[in-house]
Amino acid sequence: MVNLIPAWAQHFDAFWDAIQRRNLWFIKLRYGAVIMLLMFLFLTEFSLGLTFSKVQSTALIVITIMIQLYNLILHLKIKSIRCDSDKFNPLHFSLVQMLLDLIALGMIVYYTGGIETPLFMLFIFHMIIGSLILPGFIINSIAIAVIFYFIALTIGEYFGLIQHQAIIGFLKVPLYNNLKFVIVYDTIFSFVMIMSVVLANTIASQLYKMEQQLVESIDKLNRAEVEKQNYVIGLVHEIKSPLVAVHSYLDVILQKFLGPVDKKVEEKLIRARSRSDEAINMVNDVLKVSKLRLLDEISVGKIEIKELVEALINNFQDAISLKNIKLDFFDNRKLFSEITGDKFLLEIAFSNLLSNAIKYVSQNGKIQIILSNRNSGIELEFCDDGIGIPSNELPKIFNDFFRASNIKSKNYEGSGLGLSVVKHVIEKHGGKIEAISPSRLGNKNNPGSAFFIFLPV
Amino acid sequence: MALIAIIDDDHDILDASSLVLNSRGFKVITALNPDDGYKIVKENKPDLIILDVMMNEPDDGFYLAQKFRKEKILTPIIMYTSVSKSFGMDFGVNELVPVNEFVEKPISPDQLIEKVEALLSRKEGRS
Repeated sequence: MVNLIPAWAQHFDAFWDAIQRRNLWFIKLRYGAVIMLLMFLFLTEFSLGLTFSKVQSTALIVITIMIQLYNLILHLKIKSIRCDSDKFNPLHFSLVQMLLDLIALGMIVYYTGGIETPLFMLFIFHMIIGSLILPGFIINSIAIAVIFYFIALTIGEYFGLIQHQAIIGFLKVPLYNNLKFVIVYDTIFSFVMIMSVVLANTIASQLYKMEQQLVESIDKLNRAEVEKQNYVIGLVHEIKSPLVAVHSYLDVILQKFLGPVDKKVEEKLIRARSRSDEAINMVNDVLKVSKLRLLDEISVGKIEIKELVEALINNFQDAISLKNIKLDFFDNRKLFSEITGDKFLLEIAFSNLLSNAIKYVSQNGKIQIILSNRNSGIELEFCDDGIGIPSNELPKIFNDFFRASNIKSKNYEGSGLGLSVVKHVIEKHGGKIEAISPSRLGNKNNPGSAFFIFLPV
Repeated sequence: MALIAIIDDDHDILDASSLVLNSRGFKVITALNPDDGYKIVKENKPDLIILDVMMNEPDDGFYLAQKFRKEKILTPIIMYTSVSKSFGMDFGVNELVPVNEFVEKPISPDQLIEKVEALLSRKEGRS
């Protein structure tokens, strides 16, 4: 088998897909060509007063039937073509299609007047399409063969070696017996043919190469991201081990396993433990985000959001009562809607939002969670009357390690990874998250904020 | 009194955990790597094993736990992990880790004692 696969086609699957799609497209186009040929045969006779001889019309009908036949066969066979580079593959299939078409076209050109027919332009059209798919050496050889055929046909007709098939009523003066016309015509035809093929082939392969490079750089970037996340995980684990050891010793001392501790010393040690807690929490957050980034697949199942949210509120009941927060959950859906997604990841996302809300509302604050239908999915709103988010910082809150200036100043703990995790999870589910501040629950002192999550059903 | 084996590649964790458990009257034996861990378990037949994941070792804690179970050593195992099990990322869904309890580090002394006592009493109840 001649190897038709170009050097740039390394990502085989995508390449074969594209070729097969084009092959199918040509088959469909050919059905149209058959209809157009038939229309050409009948309409020109009626509307333009052109007459075909008996031989011509018989030949053209036979050719049309032939095209229709081989097109049907191609259509039947296309599915059984395997994308195997060593055997008969879609590229060979393209080549076969093209050769069949060129043979049919050569016959049509002959039976519609040789040099006098405008249908010869279809040669150029065919060859340009061929140059987009087939490698240069093949398409160039075919171009030369077509040129030879055309020259041989026109010269042959001029010298009377081949019988000329004129369309009666088309031209006032015959052209096939005009040598100057034949020479100029053949020259221009050859020139245009070669230029079109070479240019189309060059541009196409450049485009393919660029596409290829793009795919490769995306691959490279993805690999680099995975490496980076693995590196971060490794590094953070290394940092966590000594932190854990410090923490364990502080616990052992503070819980008096080594005997009594001086009051002043104890106070400072408690402080030290709380700082090491902070560091460990941060490290855990980084680990979670990195692992989440590495986790490309989500384990999918049917989830009833209402149950999930209710369970979540239950988990946070202690914290909610401690601050005496008025928390309401409304299910305003008119349509019952189950979400397809990863229950575990969504739990993390929602619990991040709820714990933020609890953290940032003041004593006796208000939190509302509202579930409703929106478009073809559901919307979940987490609304609070907490400290809110400065409006110029709203666009940044979903970035890694971003913490709004008003929380930094008020000594809230946190690494700033929570919302970036939430966004990541929601986007993995094909959803969207938006934040506004102030919220409808807010007031002058506590503007509040609201997060809207949209999830497709 | 019950004998507890602690296997962890961090010397200070071994020290701190031993301190806590000793104070409650447990006897403790320790090992700093999976190989030694395997040996002390084989030789001393402890009532409970506390096993760290030990990511850096070629045969990590999971491997060792599986090895014990394969050899019909059914001693209860508490596994120390670095990332919360509740986050579910350390283990493949179908990966069977034959341990009785996962504990995310750091664990407070109270919790450690509570878990150890709970597992030991469950064991007694069974036998």
